[in-house]
Formats: sequence, C-alpha cells, structure tokens
Amino acid sequence: MTSGFGSVQRKSVIFIIIAASFALLVFRLFQMQIIDYKEYNEQSASNSIKAIEQIPLRGVFLDRNGKVVVSNVPAYTLRIIPADYDTKLNKILETVLGVDSGYIDKILYNNRMYSKYMPVRIKRGIDFKTVSWLEENSEFLPGVDYIVEMQRGYPSGIMGSHMFGYTKEISPELLKKENEYYDPGDYIGYNGIEKAYEKYLRGVKGYDYVLVDSRRKEIGKYKNGTADIPSLKGDDLVLSIDADVQKVGEDAFQEYRGAFVAIEPKTGEVLALGSFPDYDLNRFSYVTSKEFLDSLYADEDKPLFNRATMSVKPPGSTFKLMEATAALTLGVITTNTTFYCGGGFTFGRFFKCDGVHGSLNVVHAIERSCNTFFYNLIYKIGLDNWYDYARKFGFAQKTGIDIGEEAKGFIPNTRYYEKIYGPNWPRSIMASLGIGQGEVNVTPVQLAKYVSLIANNGVTYTPHIVKGYVDNKTGKYVPLKFDKIDIGLDQKVIEIVKEGMYLVVNGSGTAARIRSDEITIAGKTGTAQNPHGKDHALFIGFAPFDNPKIAVAVVVENIGFGATWAAPIAKKMIEAYLLKNKSMENEQKNYEQNEQKLKQDVIGASFEN
Amino acid sequence: MRIDYKLQDKFDFGIFIPCLLLFCIGLAAIYSSTVHHPTASGNFEKQLIWGVGALIIFFVTYSVPVNSYRIIAIPFYLVSLLLLIAVLAVGRQIQGAKSWLDLGSVGFQPSEFAKIGTILVLARFLSRNNANIESFRDIVFTLIVGLFPVGLILLEPDLGTAVVFIGVILAMIFWKGISLFGLFIVLSPGFVAIASLFGLNYFIGAIILVVIALLLFRKDIFYSGSIFALNLGAGFFTDYVYKILSPHQQNRIRSFVDPMADPLGAGYNAIQARVAIGSGGFAGKGFLAGNQTQLQFIPEQWTDFVYCVIGEEFGFIGSFITLLLFLILFIRILKIASLSKDEFLSLVTVGILAVYFVHLVVNVGMTIGVMPVIGIPLPFVSYGGSSLVVNMFMLGIIANVYRTRKNYT
Repeated sequence: MTSGFGSVQRKSVIFIIIAASFALLVFRLFQMQIIDYKEYNEQSASNSIKAIEQIPLRGVFLDRNGKVVVSNVPAYTLRIIPADYDTKLNKILETVLGVDSGYIDKILYNNRMYSKYMPVRIKRGIDFKTVSWLEENSEFLPGVDYIVEMQRGYPSGIMGSHMFGYTKEISPELLKKENEYYDPGDYIGYNGIEKAYEKYLRGVKGYDYVLVDSRRKEIGKYKNGTADIPSLKGDDLVLSIDADVQKVGEDAFQEYRGAFVAIEPKTGEVLALGSFPDYDLNRFSYVTSKEFLDSLYADEDKPLFNRATMSVKPPGSTFKLMEATAALTLGVITTNTTFYCGGGFTFGRFFKCDGVHGSLNVVHAIERSCNTFFYNLIYKIGLDNWYDYARKFGFAQKTGIDIGEEAKGFIPNTRYYEKIYGPNWPRSIMASLGIGQGEVNVTPVQLAKYVSLIANNGVTYTPHIVKGYVDNKTGKYVPLKFDKIDIGLDQKVIEIVKEGMYLVVNGSGTAARIRSDEITIAGKTGTAQNPHGKDHALFIGFAPFDNPKIAVAVVVENIGFGATWAAPIAKKMIEAYLLKNKSMENEQKNYEQNEQKLKQDVIGASFEN
Repeated sequence: MRIDYKLQDKFDFGIFIPCLLLFCIGLAAIYSSTVHHPTASGNFEKQLIWGVGALIIFFVTYSVPVNSYRIIAIPFYLVSLLLLIAVLAVGRQIQGAKSWLDLGSVGFQPSEFAKIGTILVLARFLSRNNANIESFRDIVFTLIVGLFPVGLILLEPDLGTAVVFIGVILAMIFWKGISLFGLFIVLSPGFVAIASLFGLNYFIGAIILVVIALLLFRKDIFYSGSIFALNLGAGFFTDYVYKILSPHQQNRIRSFVDPMADPLGAGYNAIQARVAIGSGGFAGKGFLAGNQTQLQFIPEQWTDFVYCVIGEEFGFIGSFITLLLFLILFIRILKIASLSKDEFLSLVTVGILAVYFVHLVVNVGMTIGVMPVIGIPLPFVSYGGSSLVVNMFMLGIIANVYRTRKNYT
C-alpha cells in the first residue's frame, strides 16, 4: 500500500471491501430467506396470528332411558386482562360481585406467572344484573370483560354427586403433567365419571385465528375466518343409570349416612349408585368452588368420601350366602345337614345367636339368619377355603367399577393369623368370621356385585356406570366393552342358596316386611356390629326372583337392624325399576322431549376461552 | 445518437438510475408500511414531495460550478458545527436522541448536513499542495476536524451517525494514500476502544497487541510512545462514552450480543426484523401482504427498518435487487472517484461513497442481525426529508464531478 493518492491498488482495496460486504449481506439474506425460511415463517405466523382457543362443549350424560342427567347450561364469567386492568377498580368490582375484599388480588396473584395479556377468570356464574352493570359501565372498566361459558347443569332432579363427579379449574400441578391439551383456566373432570371419562367428554378444542398487532390487540379475522378450526363437542355418555331408581335411592337416604348400589345382574350395568351425605354439584360451577371444597373437607360426615366404593365395613349376615355356597360346593354339607341352634355356639367361649332356632338346614339357616349354623359351618369349611370363596365372589379385590377410586376391602386367611399370632393362633376367631363380623371388610359395590353373581347364577360383568358413548364425529352410539365374570357355580348349589334368599322375604325370614305382591324379591339382611356406635344396617337382594333384573346392595350406617332400615330402601328401588314400565307411553314422550333438549344443548354456540 | 452520447458524457445515468429505482422501492415500502397506520398514513405523499424537492436540489448541485464546493467547504463545516451545538441546546428529542432541529414546521437533522461539511473540509485539507498524510500533524488535524462533529453527535447521542463519520474519515485518508503505519495509528485507538467495551481483560489484551505492533514497526521512541498514550486514552475514553450513551442505545449494544435475553425489550426490534425478512422467503409475501409489516410489529418501520418491508413483502428477490442497485451505484461512484483529475473532488467522492456504504451496511446489517441495532436510515429508501435531501445533494456533487471529470485544476 505504498502507492499514493487514488492509486489502482487503493481502488482495488475499496472495491474488495465493498464486494466482500455485499457477499456477506447476500449470503446472510440467502440463509434467512431461503434456508431458514420455514422456521422464520412459522415464527411470523405465530407472531401475528393469534389462535383463540374455542373450548368445546362437554359431552352430556344420558341415563339408560335417554333422559339427560348432566347437561351444559350457559353462564356468564367475569374476566380481567391484567395488562389493561387498573387494580383501583378492585373495590367497586368486589362490591358488585359481592365477594370479600382482596378476592380479585388473590386470583390475579395466583395467575401472575401467565401472560398478562391472557384473560383471567374472576368469577363464574355472575347474574344478569351484574352483566348489565358491566355492559353499562364498560368504558370505565378497562381490562374487564365477561364471556358466556358453559357450566354443568343437573336437570333431572338427581344429584349423583359421587358418581357424576365434578369439574374444576385444572390445578397447576396437574397442568404440568397434562400440558399437551390443557391451558390454565381449563376445566377438567376431578372425580367420578367426569374424571374417569374425561377424554371422551372434553371433546376437541377449536381455534379461531385472529390477526393481532404488536401490542397483541385483535385487529381482525385471519383469512376471514376460513382457517378457523371449529371445536368438536365431547362425546355424550350413555349411562346405565336409571334416573328413577337413583332418585328413589337418593330421596330415601336424605336422613342417613351410607350407600346404595343397584346393578343389572346379567350385564353388570349399574342402575343406581349413591353415597350419603352427598353434596350439591351445582356449587362446583363457580370459581368459589375451592372454598366450597374446603368446607366439604372440613365436614365430619365426610361428604366427599364415596362410601359406595370406598367405605369398608363388615358384611354381617349377608356373608352367609357366600359361606352356604362354599359349604355346599365343597360338599361339607348337603341340604340334609342340620345343626342344632340352642341360642348360641361354644368354641373356647360362647357365641350368641339372635334366637333359638332349633335344628335347621342351610336353607332355613339363611331364611332365619341363624348364627349358630354358620358358626359351625365355617369350621367345616376351613378358613382358607372360606377365604378362597370370598375372593371368588370378588371380595378383597377391586370390582373394577369405572369411576376410579375404590377400596379393596379385606378378608383374612390362615397366613394372616399365623403372621400375627403364630401357628397356634386362636381358632375361636373364626366363629365371628362365620357370620361376617370381625376382620372382614367389604364395600357396598362389592356387595352389589356379589348379589348380582348369586342372582345371575355365578355370571355377571364388571360393574360399570357408562354403557357407551355417542361419538360426536360420526354421531353413532358406541357401546363400551366390559369383562365377563364367571365364577363357575354349581347351578344346584345356587338354587339352594336362592331358595333361602326367597324365604328371607317371602317365608318367615328376617325381611318378610318387604314382601311385595307385585314383585317377588329375594334377599338377605345383615347387621354389622360397630364398636364405635350403632350397628350398620345392610340388605342385599334381587328381583324378580325367577328372572333377576335388578340386584341391590344397601348399607345404612349406624342405625340398627338391616331388616328395619336397609331392606325397605332396597324395596323402593326395586319397585321404582320394575314397576315403572306401566306408564311406558309417558316415558316415550319424555324421551323425545329430552332428545330435543339435548340437541339444543349441542347446537349452542362455541365460546371463547 | 450523437446527442445521446453527449448527454451520457455530461450526465451519469449509472448513478442516477439506481438511485431513482431505490427511491421508488422505498416509496413502495413506505406506502405498504404506513397505509394502515393511524398516524403515519400521509408519509407516502410527504416522501413523494420530498423526492421532488430533493431532485431539484440534485440538479442544482449538479449544475453549479464545481469550484463552489471548495469555496463553501469551511463555512459549511462551521455552520454545521454551530447547528450541532444548537441542537444540543434546543433540539427536539426523538427516541432518546436530541438530533432534530425545528425550522418552522419542518424538522431536520443537523448531523446530516455536518456530513457534507466534514467531507468538504477534510477533502480541502487533504488536497492542499503541501499536504502530507504521513505527517503526525496532518493525521492529528484530520482526526480533530473529523472527530469534533463526532463528539457533538455522540452527545445527542446518535451512535449510528457517529459511526458514519468514522467510516468517512478512514475512507478519505486511505484514498489520500496513508501508509500502513499511518492507518495503524488511526485504527489502533478504535481497536482498543472497542476491546475495552468488552471489559478490562480485553482492554489489556488489546494494549499488548498494540505494543507488539509498535515494536514491529520500529519507529522512534517518541512516536511510539505518543501512539501508545493515544491508545491508552482511547480505552478510557470509550468507557466514558459508553456511559454517556442513552440507556436505549446501551441496551441496543447489549442486545446485539444476545437479542433473546429480552425478547420484548431491547432485542425486540432485532428479532422482529429478522422474522419479517426471513419469513419473506424467496418471492416474498406480496405487496401489502406482509403480516409483520401490516401489523406494525416493528415501530416506525418506514424509517430505519424499511428494509424489513422489502424483505418481507418482496422476498429474497426484492432484497437482492435492492442490494444490487446499491452495488452498481457504489462501483460507479468508485469509478468516478478514480476518473476525476481533481484530487479535492476525488476525495469528496470517496467520502460520499463512504457515507452511503456505511449507511447501507449498518442499516441492512442490523435488520438481518449482523450489526447491532443502531438506527441510521437506508439511503434513498428510508422515509425522511433531510436524509433524502442530503443524499441527493451529495449525489449531485458526484454527478457534477462526473460532468467535470476531465477538468484539471
């Protein structure tokens, strides 16, 4: 570079600098616009085209007769967009909404980790008066709006709290696990059918695409809405529940604690299932559900606890059917075998019977619920055989009912006692087990399955509440498949046991008071001793005797005799189910009306998230 | 055809046509980015009017006696310095920089005019009869004349324009014929200054490199010592300058290092600019169809980020053609610089080339992420009256130099 002013070399150097800079710029442009085009284009699309989620309508629940038992009803939800909102408005909004001061701050604080441009739901189910107030004052309420959302409605007059379950805003913990589908603020089934069938019910989210400017303000529809993906309503579930039977059961239990489960023995379809005390599902439709939940948690009666599947109690005398079956099948007795009841049984100590029954065989022992007979019987059967038969009937294991949480219960065996007491464990323990007391724990749904197996001669299906669903893509009904259970009972044996059950109601048995002229009911009462208070009343039964269509298990807690308290409830439910076909025409009419209503529910608009 | 030949001999279409086309591309981009904008929707018409005005100025500059530039050089320089001082006192602040002076209803940027003044004065100084660019005195004087307006501009603060001045000074002393060692003297403080921005360790490393270079050049101890002191001073001075930069400019420098660090803050423009250009693809999204542009993701896209509009709506083809027009223009200007028999005019031409070149590289570079986001407009394309007028004024000078290229002085 020794050459001087304006030399050719200097010109070349400048030329090279210019050319190299151009090469660099063109190379970079090529890299961005040709090689990385796709990536930038995606970014650009997501940048300026905002997808607004369209929450689909949740599937509704129909009972076995097509009656809508869980529906969607529109409700107004007040929302705040934190970016545009002025917290000075808290006071007035809280007054209008009728909530405690600090309510809005709390919700906004809980949502602080999400984009401040994303609307936060403040209160669901605001009334129309509040909506008109919002409408009138909208110009003074920046960042405050309301939307119409769907919430659950229960139009049929049955509650089914534990069975249906509730939906709730997804928790942050769950959101972390399930972030593929859900976004903050989404509702998700939290228990019962709502939870178990969430994937059917939730449908497919839709998206409306809108153009936004750099401040994320909407300025119009993208491609005039032609690119929008409509939401797809969730599948409607067809339940095996009979709303009438359920209603009768619920009404009967208003004063009591306990549970009922009714099953169609041939199919395993649950006709009714209730747990009491129950709670009002309607109250979960609001953002305040947390406080409501807290109050339920605090309740000593544990209303959230699903007693039908979770509570474990001794089965009492209802267990005698299992023992009779075991003994007859094993051949340790025949119908000719009798035991003498002189008011009790002595094995190390004296075990009482409820009466002095004299000499009786297995049929009459069931009829009269003679404890002495069954004290003797369990020693004939042997603990481990007894255990095996209990398991055969589904005890000490989950029934597999399709609504989630369920207790296994407990049945002891030799190994269990050897573990506790050693090889010389006191055999006198067995006597109580013989009458379903002591360390025997079963759930109401296990009892219902047990009586179904007896009613249908040892064959049934896994108990289930949902029969099938209406696929909303095709509009077709799709039945769900459940496992068949066949415990291989000797038909002669089951006839004998059923004869005993027949006499319980129709002979001079313990439940003679529920005898009915119209329906032949068969059953077995039970009274489970309870060290903490009054006895639990139990009844299991089925009807009609010749062709069982309904099997029922009823457990009323801390009340007294099974015959007095549980059996009448079972009778009402059986009647509700078997005697209603009298007014078939009415039913048909109802069905059509509901169908119409359902269609309206389905058509309802899709609403912005 | 003889007339045509004569016209071409007097008027260089090689510089005029590319500029005209660039102006038209700019108009299209300005229209696209402002047509739906609530406050800037009149900018297309304004730019068109400025274009007519700038064209008149171009022809005036083109046709005045070429010697008049030499005459106005020093007054022009002094007036522009006064304006630069005035703007610091009474200027209008836009986006964190006090760079606008209001004359009635029209605002203009004195720094634009200072470019011309500085180029003319430097060219006069370097082309005087006894000039010796190798002399310490000449280098220092050149730097003082050149860097004085830079200092004032940095006080506004307008980093982008300051960078343009540095480019101009380097180009002119290089064209004048500075030796490698002379270039080293001029460049090394800058090198040390930039290194010091990265921290103390880089600063010390740069100083060590300077010492090694000084030893290799084997100049006398006084000379080397002064240069060493100069470098040391540059390092400390930079630290001071960085501190007087407005926070938004500091952020811009920081965000260049990592734009994702603050995607909605300082790095926002850099990211959005890249997304706009990258998403244009090969053929672009079409005129008025770029969603980044139409939705105003980048603020004031018709000014410094106008290249994004071109990149997004006209794609690689559009961006490439734009660059190609600049390349044709630059090569043509370089040709004219070497054609001229007048050393003063030749130096002026190279100075103007440097202005255009630095503007282009910094402007396009920042939109495609190879330069920090320091806002300077794209010549002939970006919206802005004073920028367009000054650019066309300078183009007029070059056209005049072409017209009079055969004249000896």
